[in-house]
Amino acid sequence: MKGATSSSPTLIGVLVMLASGLAVGCSSDRPAEGDSCIALVHADGPCGIAADGGALDLGLHEYACSGSARPDQNARYVEGIPQGRVCAERGPRSEEGKQTYCCSDETSSCAYDPVADCETPTYGYQCRGANRPESFNAALACGQGVREGERINYCCSGTPQPDGCLQSDSVTCSPRLMGFSCLGRNLPKAGQLGANKSRADYYYLLCSTPEPAANVAYNNYCCYTPALVPRGGSCVQHTEVPGCGPGRFGFACYGPETPEEDFLPMRCPAPPILGRSAQGYPAKLYCCDFQ
Amino acid sequence: MLTWHRLVAALSLFAASACGAPPDIAAIVYACGTTPAPSASPTEYTPGACGADDPNLPPEPTLPTDVCATLFADKSTPDEANLDTARIQAALSDCKGRAVKLTSAGDYHAFVAAHLVVDSVTLWIDQGTTLYASRNPDLYQKTGSCGVLGVNDSGACNDFITVSGTSPAIVGDGTIDGQGGEPLVGRDYSWWEMSNALREIDGSIGNPTLINLASKTTGFLLYRVTLHDSPKFHVKLTSTPADRSCTTPGEGFIVWGITILTPSRWMNSQGRFLSPHWARNTDGVDPGTTDIATCGVIACNTISTGDDQIAIKGGHWVSDLVIAHNHFGTGHGMSIGSETYGVYTSPDGVVHRGVENVLVYDLTIDADSRPVGFESSSADSNGIRIKSDVSRGGLVSDITFRDICMRDMANAILVSTAYNPLFAGTMYPEFKTLNFHNVRHVSCMAMQQPVVTLEGFNAAVRAGPITLDNVVIDNIAPHAVAAEFADIRLGPGRVNFKPEGVGVTTTDLVTGESTARSCVFPPLPTPVKPAGWLR
Repeated sequence: MKGATSSSPTLIGVLVMLASGLAVGCSSDRPAEGDSCIALVHADGPCGIAADGGALDLGLHEYACSGSARPDQNARYVEGIPQGRVCAERGPRSEEGKQTYCCSDETSSCAYDPVADCETPTYGYQCRGANRPESFNAALACGQGVREGERINYCCSGTPQPDGCLQSDSVTCSPRLMGFSCLGRNLPKAGQLGANKSRADYYYLLCSTPEPAANVAYNNYCCYTPALVPRGGSCVQHTEVPGCGPGRFGFACYGPETPEEDFLPMRCPAPPILGRSAQGYPAKLYCCDFQ
Repeated sequence: MLTWHRLVAALSLFAASACGAPPDIAAIVYACGTTPAPSASPTEYTPGACGADDPNLPPEPTLPTDVCATLFADKSTPDEANLDTARIQAALSDCKGRAVKLTSAGDYHAFVAAHLVVDSVTLWIDQGTTLYASRNPDLYQKTGSCGVLGVNDSGACNDFITVSGTSPAIVGDGTIDGQGGEPLVGRDYSWWEMSNALREIDGSIGNPTLINLASKTTGFLLYRVTLHDSPKFHVKLTSTPADRSCTTPGEGFIVWGITILTPSRWMNSQGRFLSPHWARNTDGVDPGTTDIATCGVIACNTISTGDDQIAIKGGHWVSDLVIAHNHFGTGHGMSIGSETYGVYTSPDGVVHRGVENVLVYDLTIDADSRPVGFESSSADSNGIRIKSDVSRGGLVSDITFRDICMRDMANAILVSTAYNPLFAGTMYPEFKTLNFHNVRHVSCMAMQQPVVTLEGFNAAVRAGPITLDNVVIDNIAPHAVAAEFADIRLGPGRVNFKPEGVGVTTTDLVTGESTARSCVFPPLPTPVKPAGWLR
């Protein structure tokens, strides 16, 4: 995106048909025929966001879309570099079924990913380079990025989403482990560590079988950030191994190795039982202790 | 077929002729004018040779005259079976307000100890004497993960030396050696191998810090000592003036005339090659890591290591620093961040934030001081960096760099609000008044094309004003200047590149020609090369 300039304000007032007739790449979520987006005009500027220092032009544009159309759905890859709009939904869908979006122009290094693995109501962007999607659109809030080769995947929303887990020193853990309190079946992520905590480029922490919190809606976990699993390692975290009590670490292994080989601090005293991983695949289940 | 030796010889001849050296050299001559001094031994320190007439600096410190206890070495090697921890600590505890001197005795020049506490006392390491950090992780155990492979637990170990109290000091012409590259007792791996095991996930191993200051320390002095091979950070500074007000620079802390050389050897005792890249997370001097650090002076030091030579950490609050007359070799840069989110309310009720009022001048950074390591990347050679991200961002303001010379950096100047784009958050980095005056970057034989990055976070959270005045980056290309969301002022001195990009405003105040800063890079200490090595 270096060297590009912000969109011209002359665009204001121009109706733009975005969806119909344009290529949608490999999207499996193609909008229905007739779904479309139009640019909106506001006298006080788009999106209602104030810039630092009072600058007015944040390079954002507002759209109203019908059906499943989105202003960012025509993203493309130019020699492997994603390119497209980055949009934040604005409020709920109207009674007429229209959704308003606040979007960047098309020069971002992010592409909307219609098949991203994001929990509703978040949606996915794939970006390349140092800029997060929020860099292109100040109205957006995105979660922790996950590397996929040279690109990074994000799940984002125009409405900041509450963290499913919160790091908590009041959760009783060994000094070597960090405590988290999580709503329901959410699992702690490295991005939920406090600003004063050293963190690694690692998405899911490795956590113990949870202990129910005083508030029954929550579960308490004790976690740590492991080193990467050795090449070929097949053991994955499973916090619901039958018989593996709170504070112990459950694993599902697909291959011949044990969690002790994949995660050095683990000691697994009992032989595995046959069962299924948290993802539902047949696996050997281990219950281990953090040494 | 062109053999390796012929290639080296040919390159040497070419380099020599390119740089004006006579063509009939008999051995490898360093290509661009400065031959590294092949010595890991600390050079004899000359008091008064640096910073004497600088009005920004306090008078140079002096060595103590009141020695409470003198301890004599009883070994010539760091013998783990004969530790000196108890006797050193006993003397330090008995001598508050005075000095404990460690000195050699005949052929015996080594002390070896585990965790020590320097509380309101001066630890003096005499010339020719080395204080080694024990290689036994069990003696530093804090959480249970100290010395354990594969755990990202940055608080796993106690420090080698914890400093606290009023006017504590570590001084002298001796050496403190952390033995970071040597195998640990009872293990077949070193501190650095533990750290490298977490490199792929950018994890942080909990190895001991060589010198760490506790909260509420006041008036710390680090003077003339040489530091080698720390397991992790060398010096974490947390110190303020006793009354928290800063009337004279250095009332909070002074780091003056020290040498950091890490790795200090080409190979460890097992024959493993040691490089700066391998010595991961071995920051040199880090003010503000543990708590606030104010009113500090870091002057007349030489630092060559495997991570930031200096990293100002704004996780609490850092202000009023003077960083002058320093020479850097290998390392990740003269850095600020990545933690800049600190908030501190002073007793008078004023709220302070992040990193404020820092003056850096008369600095050389020379990537050509020695090889970084065959595994290295562009991240290993940085000049000036101000870095943060939305997981740990805050205010960085009133920062001035002037009279800076750099050679062969991958990143000559980097102002980045997305240091790690993976991390989420709403702590947006606020990089405000940043000034660069008389900055020059040179490239030996134009082999390195440096990059300049000046990036705010987005259109709503911009960086600047960033002033570039007489900033000349040799061999820079237009595509090597990355800028976005920044307010940039050029001039009055010439700037030989033009920052452009999304959301960039540039105000051109250049008034005619200016003279680019003339750079001289002093020889820096490097490890003694093994017999038979050409360089």
